[in-house]
Amino acid sequence: MKLRSTADHSPSVIIRCTAFVLLAALSLGVAVSNAEESPILPERYKDTNVILVSLQCLRPDHLGVYGYKRNTSPNIDRLAKSSILFDNTIAQANLTPVAMMSVLTSQYPRVNGMIAFDAAKDAVTSRTLPEILKYYGYTTAAVSGSPEFFMRYDTESGTEIKLGDVFSRSFDYFGRTRKGLGSSLRVAPVESLDWISKNKDKKFFMWIASGVIHVPYAAGVPREERTLYDPPGYTPFWDKFHSIKAEEGAPDDTTYDVLMRIYKDEYYLGFKPVYKLTPTDYSYIVSRYDAAIRYTDNFIGQLMDTLEKNNLTKNTILIIHSIHGEDLGERDTYVHYDLSESAVKSALVVRLPGGEQGGKKIADQVQGLDIMPTVLDYLGIPRDYSQQGASLLPLIKGEPGATGTEFAYIDRIPWWEHTLSRWYLEFKNSQTNYPESEKTPVKEYGAMLRAAFPPGSYPPGDIAIRTKQWKMILRKDPRLLEKVSWYGYITGQTLQYGDIELYDIVADPNERTNVAAKNPEVARSLKTKLMEWDTSVERKKAVYGAGEKRFIIPYP
Amino acid sequence: MSQHDNRNESDGALINRREFIKKTAVGVGVAAAAMAMPGFILGKAGAVDVTDLPMKYKDYNVVFVSFDALQAAHVGALGYPGNVTPTIDAMAKQGFNFTNNISVASWTVPASMTWFTGVYPSEHRLTNKFSVFNPPNNNVISNLKKLSPELVTLAEVLKQNGYATGGFTGNAGVSGGFGYSQGFDEYFFEKGKFGSMGVSIPKGLEWLHKNKDKKFFMFLHGYDMHGQNIPVEGFDYRFVDKGYDKRYTGSAAEQEALREEGLEKGTVALRDEDVKFWRAIYDEKIQRTDARFKKFLEEYEKMGLMDKTIFVLTSDHGTEFHEHKRFDHGFSLYDELIHVPLIIKLPKQKTGKVIKDQISSIDVMPTVLDLLDVKMPDNAKKQLRGASLVVGLKGKDVAKDVFFETDYRQYTYKRGIQTKDGWKLIYTLENKSRELYNLKSDPHETKNLVEQEPRRAYELEQRVFAHFKAIGHDLNSRQWIPGLNPVYDSQAKGVQKK
Repeated sequence: MKLRSTADHSPSVIIRCTAFVLLAALSLGVAVSNAEESPILPERYKDTNVILVSLQCLRPDHLGVYGYKRNTSPNIDRLAKSSILFDNTIAQANLTPVAMMSVLTSQYPRVNGMIAFDAAKDAVTSRTLPEILKYYGYTTAAVSGSPEFFMRYDTESGTEIKLGDVFSRSFDYFGRTRKGLGSSLRVAPVESLDWISKNKDKKFFMWIASGVIHVPYAAGVPREERTLYDPPGYTPFWDKFHSIKAEEGAPDDTTYDVLMRIYKDEYYLGFKPVYKLTPTDYSYIVSRYDAAIRYTDNFIGQLMDTLEKNNLTKNTILIIHSIHGEDLGERDTYVHYDLSESAVKSALVVRLPGGEQGGKKIADQVQGLDIMPTVLDYLGIPRDYSQQGASLLPLIKGEPGATGTEFAYIDRIPWWEHTLSRWYLEFKNSQTNYPESEKTPVKEYGAMLRAAFPPGSYPPGDIAIRTKQWKMILRKDPRLLEKVSWYGYITGQTLQYGDIELYDIVADPNERTNVAAKNPEVARSLKTKLMEWDTSVERKKAVYGAGEKRFIIPYP
Repeated sequence: MSQHDNRNESDGALINRREFIKKTAVGVGVAAAAMAMPGFILGKAGAVDVTDLPMKYKDYNVVFVSFDALQAAHVGALGYPGNVTPTIDAMAKQGFNFTNNISVASWTVPASMTWFTGVYPSEHRLTNKFSVFNPPNNNVISNLKKLSPELVTLAEVLKQNGYATGGFTGNAGVSGGFGYSQGFDEYFFEKGKFGSMGVSIPKGLEWLHKNKDKKFFMFLHGYDMHGQNIPVEGFDYRFVDKGYDKRYTGSAAEQEALREEGLEKGTVALRDEDVKFWRAIYDEKIQRTDARFKKFLEEYEKMGLMDKTIFVLTSDHGTEFHEHKRFDHGFSLYDELIHVPLIIKLPKQKTGKVIKDQISSIDVMPTVLDLLDVKMPDNAKKQLRGASLVVGLKGKDVAKDVFFETDYRQYTYKRGIQTKDGWKLIYTLENKSRELYNLKSDPHETKNLVEQEPRRAYELEQRVFAHFKAIGHDLNSRQWIPGLNPVYDSQAKGVQKK
């Protein structure tokens, strides 16, 4: 893909944990253990706050500290100096509610039950991080600028969110951004800063979620900052085909509708390619994406100022992570449709109180579901037996034998087409100024999807396993996927999916070439591991509770 | 014994068991020697003070008695005001009376096999009547040898050490068909019955007469107190209030119907007078059983075996009389179901001792082996999960946190922990519900403190899951969906698998 020349990366410098005497002295508080009992956990839960910042669609390779050339993240880069940076973090899913619930429960998606956008509000009964922290006397608060976390509501009024969303459980305070319609939901969650200042004397857990980096990129931020990196004089390529409705965004916003109609660098309308993207078009999309990161980074700067001003940096764990990544055309598509490296690789920055162990960069593979066990481990709270991740403290401390997760597992559940079938397709169809010739087939496509995914049926999914070198994606029902495929639909072609895709992600990070046939041994052993995991997950998967009527706040 | 004469002093329904135990503990422990115990005991030559007991009884006999379904709260030696267990109480006063013995399960099949294998029900796997249940034709009865062929039983170990081994039982939950006969030279179980000690005792005595000159291990068991057993001579309703309107008669069918109603609906509709009636029926059964056991002891004494024998008296589980709105046993893990007597009387022991430390029925097998100075065979050395209580007999603190479990038919999978400082968590796997009780302030388990004590509930839940994982049963590795798993034959006939 020649288009991808603006995102130039310098090789990451990996500073492996060195055995400075000083580091050894910076004990993470493992108390002396006696011979028979497990180590006495430090009781840091008595006076340590926790802040978890969850950012949608953030690619680590678009942050300075991970080697990005453009100065998108001066504040995160500064924060990283007193933090531990994880260089190889994998999200458990490519969709926000699914990947986030894995972080909040430390369980794979099918185990916690958050496997569809229309999951019932009580679909997830697994213990969440705020729930456990409440047991230990924490005041819990959340401020979300990601509608994915407050879109399932209880009343028909549609105006007031009850604390009924599956994500608001166990929060004493659940704030949200809701300034108006459409993209204005995805604004920086600055309300969290006020809450922290007002509650600084309490022992608190604050979850901050932001959707500023989600499509349409940076649409909710001031124009000057949104256009920061725009190529000079650029006119959006879609202008010559259609306009963008006001509630969808500004005419030049990188909307879902536009990005989801790009396939292999061609813009599709009327089931045929109508336009071939130029490097400038690509550069424009990335510029808007980067502007969203820069704006989010400003918020991180404000957050750090708030912590410093309130003297909280010494007794607060601050974790910033990507909920998942984002595709920018490397693998033919945009947004976060499949389990590409760009969609599942995540940023993870952990700042321990006082900047303990700060400046380390850890290359070992870790997973989103390791975040919660790490927090509990640090605080000295016994971990719940149901958690499937591992504490990262041994890695952080450089303990011998700590090597991260050899095998990361990823669910592509639900297929995006499942979400389309439930409500999103119709919603988008009425939101866009497409001609009737484009809209009518959408209705037929929607009917076909609904027939393919009957109400109450378990959403279909794909699964993947990843090591430092390999990634295998296993399509559980490739024929059905071909039948319902959105890209098959917009291109008017039948796309072909194999059962097994194996990629050498070191040599081929964009996963262009399936090397399963060339590496039968690797394919066989990874498939065995993947199926073992799949079986273990299926054995304890949560009941799919989408039976009740849900009211969904559509989101941009 | 005057304080025990009036059985109706407390109407039984809501006896604070721990209070009574406390009261009796003082009475037995301090005043035992001075109390007017039957004269032959104190006066007899050769009486040995507790502290002088050798605690090693190589080649002595063991008589292990299970009074099936004997709730701790109905035993005089454990604080019951009614005089329904004089024989058991007398033995308790001469022996070691463990007042806080908690069974590993709340129904016969899983609970009893733990005495004989020293492992938890999840491990010996006799957690249901059937190991395969596919009615009408494909049903396989659970059997120890098939489910857990690696386990060595108490009878097997003793047999290997030269003991004659005989079991004389009331069948049903301890039927030979489940593998309870494993290791016994002779194992009697009355086919098709919830049999009485009225039958098993004579069979046992017959065997004793043949084996009394050998060293022997005898398991004596009967369902006389159990809801499915009715005295052959019928009830005389000795403890029933004269004015009772006879809505119930005490039949096995009534008991079964009440059990089923509770299982189906979650609660049983019973009036206070009905509960009182059922407790009166229970007391009559207990008193009749105690009298049978008295006759057994008289015969036993005539054989001159008393000073050569260790007695272990216990029960597999209790029973419930509407304390938690249900009836019978098996479904729940409340105190009325898992708190059972354990009395160990050593040869020539004449003065008793009350041991209040909380212990578990899992400790019984290691204790018996320890007393007999018999080692587990090499292939089974690591089998025993419990600990010998002999150090406790010598006065050392043996209190421990205990675990228990029940899988009951198509209704439930429950696991629990009870800490030695009086906290109890019951975890129901199929719906992940939790009950937390403070037994010190709430011995009847009426106030679920999960909301008030979330951290304690959380930490105890971690303990339960860690315990079962440590014994090879990761409760978190599967879903728990109740299926149709009959315990009683009446449920297995003609039913369709759900």
